[in-house]
Amino acid sequence: MLAPEKMSRLLIVASKDQLAPITGALYRSRLFHIEDFVVEGREGYDGFSIGKPLAGASEASGGLIKVRSLENVFAIRPDDIDPAGARKRHDDLARVVDRELAKIGTEVEGLTSRRSKLEASIKEYEQRIHEITPFADIPVDLSLYRGYERFAVIAGFVTKNVAIREPAESRIVKGKSSNFIVAVVPNEDRADVESELAGAGFVASPIPAESGMPHALIDDYQAKITQAKAEIASIEMNLDAIRQKHADFLVACEEVLKSEVEQAEAPLRFATTDQTFVAEGWVPSSRIAGITDEIMKASGNRAYVAELPIGPHDVVPVEYNNPSFAKPSQFFMNIYARPKYTEIDPTLMLSIIFPIFFGLILGDIGYGLILLALCFALRKYFRGEDAEYFLKVIRNASISSIFFGVLNSEFLGFAMPWWPPYSFSRHLISEHGGHGPMIPELLLLAIWIGILHITLGRVLGMVNHYRQDHGEHRMKAVLANAGWLFVMWGVLVIIWSGIVMPLMPDLTGFPMLVAIPGLPMDIPGINVTMVLGGIMILAGVIFIARDSILEVVELPSIISHVLSYARLVAVGLSSVAIAMVVNFISIGMLIEPQLENFTLIGAVVILAGVVVFILGHALNTALGILGGGLHSIRLNYVEFFTKFYKGGGLKYNPFGLKRRFTED
Amino acid sequence: MAAEVVASTVEIAAASQVGMKALGAGLAVGLTGIGAGVAEMGIGSAAVGATAENKDLFGLVLILTVIPETIVIFGLVVALVLWFV
Repeated sequence: MLAPEKMSRLLIVASKDQLAPITGALYRSRLFHIEDFVVEGREGYDGFSIGKPLAGASEASGGLIKVRSLENVFAIRPDDIDPAGARKRHDDLARVVDRELAKIGTEVEGLTSRRSKLEASIKEYEQRIHEITPFADIPVDLSLYRGYERFAVIAGFVTKNVAIREPAESRIVKGKSSNFIVAVVPNEDRADVESELAGAGFVASPIPAESGMPHALIDDYQAKITQAKAEIASIEMNLDAIRQKHADFLVACEEVLKSEVEQAEAPLRFATTDQTFVAEGWVPSSRIAGITDEIMKASGNRAYVAELPIGPHDVVPVEYNNPSFAKPSQFFMNIYARPKYTEIDPTLMLSIIFPIFFGLILGDIGYGLILLALCFALRKYFRGEDAEYFLKVIRNASISSIFFGVLNSEFLGFAMPWWPPYSFSRHLISEHGGHGPMIPELLLLAIWIGILHITLGRVLGMVNHYRQDHGEHRMKAVLANAGWLFVMWGVLVIIWSGIVMPLMPDLTGFPMLVAIPGLPMDIPGINVTMVLGGIMILAGVIFIARDSILEVVELPSIISHVLSYARLVAVGLSSVAIAMVVNFISIGMLIEPQLENFTLIGAVVILAGVVVFILGHALNTALGILGGGLHSIRLNYVEFFTKFYKGGGLKYNPFGLKRRFTED
Repeated sequence: MAAEVVASTVEIAAASQVGMKALGAGLAVGLTGIGAGVAEMGIGSAAVGATAENKDLFGLVLILTVIPETIVIFGLVVALVLWFV
């Protein structure tokens, strides 16, 4: 909680003949994050070199390529396949993989090559039809266009009308944008005719090398195309049948081969000498005993396993360590950046604060219920951990917005029977008497949330700097964070000393030091607490400047960041306003007046009212999700995280495979 | 007579005050909206380009893109305060 999983650095040394069993044990345990051995620049690794793959690596990778190409043919993606039924045993599969793959491969290859041949022939037939079509309206056998010694046959399209003189013979077929012309010309007149044709925008077309009447030929080719298409369809059906039959087998094969390749290639990441190998990596501290036992068992106690101290420059891989309800929020953390190992992991805070912000913004029972239903409906269509996490986050957010909807007494913009609402009213018009929108209270509440959120962020910033920085800089950085807090609270104290506001402490009663008449907003003058606030600001600025003088320019951001939380109210109110406008137009203006004296046209208007109601609320739901989601996450990312969080940790990626279709 | 004129003048003045408030509120939201839009335009297109090159940047560029949004929120707050407070 609030910190990533504690990691330990593990060193494994053994003789090379233990390479295979130890790699297997590590692979099965899925705990060891291998730190790749780099030949150059490692202290104490003189004379070591990168290991060679285990036997069988190239066969396994060859098989893997085959499986993947087959999966490609069938458009199979392992993620899309539900691991149904009993898992296949790894060793059983490994024995038959080669034979079965070769069988499926030949079968599929025959079908696909036949299919591509058919596709090519369809293209060819279509091309021929294309060539013959212009001649279709001239009832002359195509063989008659060829084979003359003293005549030339010219065919093509002209854009203008053209008359060809005797002794040449010509035939024109009128078309939409251009006319098709065929001319039989004595060889001696050819040049004249061609120049005349060129004047008419002539584009030559080839004379088909066919014999027979054009119409009959076209029909013949059409029939051939239909036949080829039917055959392709049957091939596809065959392929589909093979796909159905072998999809599970193929994904299982991929898993088996992938695991074999990964294990066989693992020595490429280890340091080796002629006789021994050394593997370094990271393991969650709580699991060290277990993994050590497994290595010892696999090697028959012929390995040396030791925990190494973590150096200051080591890049420790980071694995989240959150209670299960906070896990979905890791989705948002991954979008921003994974925490560093030494950093506070804010996932838990995010998982609590995000739904609250979302609820404060959307805060409507109706929209909350729609969103909740949407979450459950979408669950079927999205796969993968990210989508699951995202939907869970939205689910929590919609439950929170139902909760705040009850407090706000809002249902699609209508008031609920309980009135006035338990919280500050957001209703723009008070339908049942009582208060309209309580804007000042709502805004000040949002400001309070901002103040507390930012204060929390700065305190976490102090902790992070204390943990991460060293030497002189550590104290300065911690104090700078405190300085930001001093300035913010100092400004607040000064404001409270001058102005009385709802929900805020009233410090105006303290003894007055200098009375200044005529100040705006009825500020009487400078009192004790105001001086105190001034001192806080001054101290804060000094602390900030001591760390980095340039940061002082950023001081106004204190005000803008706190005021930024006003969006919790502003975005929410705009959503309420849209809902109320939709309700007013659809019910108040369209439906209700027609219900009073019902006519046929009235029914149409009522229908229009219903459409407006549905469309309007659908739009507002979409806006609510976007507004509620984006603004809540933004407040966390921009206003909260920037105070303490850097991120950029290395993902903990243990050596091993999460098996879905097979078992060891 | 004179009293009536005074009364109606006061009414007109009050009504036009309400109108001015409405105008001010509208301008506050509208102009800040344009401002935020102009600001986000450049950032947004650069952000899309950066994300196309490197997907990991999505989180960072999302933050950069929404930073100017605060402008329009301030506008909305000003409008709300003008209208309701």
